[in-house]
Amino acid sequence: MSQPWNRLSRRQLLKGLGGASALPLLGAMPSLAIGGQHAGHVVVVGGGFGGATAAKYLKRANPAIKVTLVEPAEVFYTCPFSNLFLGGLRDMRSIAHNYDELRQRYDVDVIHALAEDIDADTHKVRLSTGDTLHYDRLVLSPGVDMRWDALDGYDEATAEKAPHAWKAGHQTTLLKQQLEAMEDGGTFIMVAPDNPYRCPPGPYERAGMVAHYFKEHKPSSKVLILDAKDNFSKQGLFTAGWQHLYGDRIEWVGLSNDGRVTRVDADNLEVETEFGTRHRADVLNVIPPQKAGWIADRAGVTDSSGWVPVKPDTFESQQVNDIYVVGDATVAAPMPKSGFCANAQAKVVAAAIASSLEQQPAPTAYWANTCYSLVGPNYGISVAGVYRVTDGAIAEVAGAGGISPADAPDTVRALEAEYAVGWYNAICQDTWGTQV
Amino acid sequence: MSHSYRIKTALSRRKVLQHGVAGLGLLLLSPFAWASGAWQQLDAAQQVLNGATPITQGLTLDLPHVSEDGSAVPLGIQFNGDLADGDYLTDIHLFAAGNPQPEIATFRLNELSRYPDIATRVRLNETQHVVAIAKSHQGQTFAVSQEVRITVSGCLMRGEDNQPEPLTNPRVSVNQQVAAGDALEVRTLINHPMETGLREDSNGERLPRHIIEQFTVRLGDEVAFEAELHQSISANPYLRFHLTPHQSGELVFEWQDDQDKQARHTSELSVS
Ligand SMILES: Cc1cc2nc3c(=O)[nH]c(=O)nc-3n(C[C@H](O)[C@H](O)[C@H](O)COP(=O)(O)OP(=O)(O)OC[C@H]3O[C@@H](n4cnc5c(N)ncnc54)[C@H](O)[C@@H]3O)c2cc1C
Repeated sequence: MSQPWNRLSRRQLLKGLGGASALPLLGAMPSLAIGGQHAGHVVVVGGGFGGATAAKYLKRANPAIKVTLVEPAEVFYTCPFSNLFLGGLRDMRSIAHNYDELRQRYDVDVIHALAEDIDADTHKVRLSTGDTLHYDRLVLSPGVDMRWDALDGYDEATAEKAPHAWKAGHQTTLLKQQLEAMEDGGTFIMVAPDNPYRCPPGPYERAGMVAHYFKEHKPSSKVLILDAKDNFSKQGLFTAGWQHLYGDRIEWVGLSNDGRVTRVDADNLEVETEFGTRHRADVLNVIPPQKAGWIADRAGVTDSSGWVPVKPDTFESQQVNDIYVVGDATVAAPMPKSGFCANAQAKVVAAAIASSLEQQPAPTAYWANTCYSLVGPNYGISVAGVYRVTDGAIAEVAGAGGISPADAPDTVRALEAEYAVGWYNAICQDTWGTQV
Repeated sequence: MSHSYRIKTALSRRKVLQHGVAGLGLLLLSPFAWASGAWQQLDAAQQVLNGATPITQGLTLDLPHVSEDGSAVPLGIQFNGDLADGDYLTDIHLFAAGNPQPEIATFRLNELSRYPDIATRVRLNETQHVVAIAKSHQGQTFAVSQEVRITVSGCLMRGEDNQPEPLTNPRVSVNQQVAAGDALEVRTLINHPMETGLREDSNGERLPRHIIEQFTVRLGDEVAFEAELHQSISANPYLRFHLTPHQSGELVFEWQDDQDKQARHTSELSVS
């Protein structure tokens, strides 16, 4: 498909950057598309925050790169704002995105299939359709998988009774239906995992959203969080916000007060903690420990932790050449496992791959992140960070970023709730091209 | 949960060396016998070693490569090395090489706790090596070290310090029935601030040290397991370890802090 944007030649693009910087680059472009040949084939596995962004920004870096995106779902539901759906503030359509822009505007070849296996030696990806793709560079952004063996009694089958809702879609609507079917006076129990896991503030945003739904529709119901850790993201802000909006409707039990759940009985909606306390729920939300999406194992890029170590400058795998990994699957701490980070890492990978296909060094990388959380519909809090590579590791830039003030008036919280919506619209537009 | 426990019958290292080809054996074994480890630069560890060259295989540390919360890093220590028949580990010392006070804990094992599989949670100020040194009853020494990278993420910013009341809520989880000779898993947790003596309060005043120093488990009249705890153990000390009891009796768990206050917990154990 030939869009006006694609017809812009690379030379024209570079001119726009100013002659001085363009000249040295022009000499080093042996792989530019000439007469229908492409400048290298990049296969991207996963069309979430990391993968969709990588596909788009590869094309923006050099339209002559052939980009194939492999993602089974035709419609992608974001985890960000799925808690707002649980709180009754949004419908599922408002968090749904598709791949039209990638196809039509950026000429990405989108294949709706699973990548089933990867052979790093021969640079091949086998798809569930039976086809095999050959890549020059591979990008993996498979997100997380649940560790089904980590919690006694909790597996894929029991997740239908006690949903995790930690991947948006069917699991999210299942949890919502259970909340709606629950009688007033019931208890919603959430089992929260130890670090690292997808979206550090996510469980606590969810607690607030469920409490909001209860306040409006089931005022005698309670939220109990059983946590496998003693500290959590934005803890002080969340705790103060919960108290302010919901009184003592939300109770949090941390690790040192026997909050770590070790056994789940999904049939009876019962959980047992490490020191033998049993809790019965009316709706049970178990967020189990996680690891990199399984295809990362197939590619040989995970280590014994279950996550993917990457070279901090480029996010290329430390273990396998020509495979780049972004998003939740990676070990990128202190960057959190957030959609914002996946998007930022994908841009660094796109630039690094475009450079490497032209035998150029990767540009210097830096990243930013903001985690917005809604405590209530008009009550937002946030934490922001800026990151760069220092002494061979990703580090937070001291003094940059920050956290919402502790004693802010409601007007500030209301503004932050608006910024959260602005952030969501902007990142979805940047990733999937979805217009609001 | 109980794991069956078998005494190792494999050839001990000492026995290997006693065989005729001692010279060759030494040559072959030297790469790991002399392998360097973080304990070589650590005075506290050198004192424990007291000139001995430790065996660097058999003792294993289970730690995350990267931890996002240095205030409570899960740590496991196990032993699956070779010892002579009848020999067993008596002391395991843990150190955080990069902390201002490197001692984490010392575990004292005996006939009633000779299945070395222990877990706790430790404080690590910064990226550093954790070191473990173990001694056996017959005088063998073992060492291992592992690096842990500490990254305190802004996104994980914690809340206000909710200091627990010292020595409250002693918790013990243990099966009440076990077959003689089986290893019995025991988990314990107690609330205590484990104040290091290195922190300042909001007025810049140094907070005095206040920690649990000693944890003792008795079965009847006999000491079955002991732990000496130091500042690098996390607040609200957690310990998971194993007992290998041969007789029924009352299990008594006792925590004692540096202000001479105690907490106790008891449970009945029936060994068949
Ligand atoms: C409740 C909740 C709230 C959240 N809120 C926020 C927020 O407010 N802000 C924020 O920044 N982040 C938030 N997050 C985190 C965010 O969802 C993740 O960090 C983000 O989705 C990570 O992007 P990713 O590309 O790594 O994975 P994903 O976005 O999960 O994408 C992975 C994709 O890969 C596909 N895939 C997997 N395996 C294969 C395969 N073998 N072949 C082909 N395709 C495959 C999957 O189908 C999926 O579409 C939240 C998460 C949760 C659970």
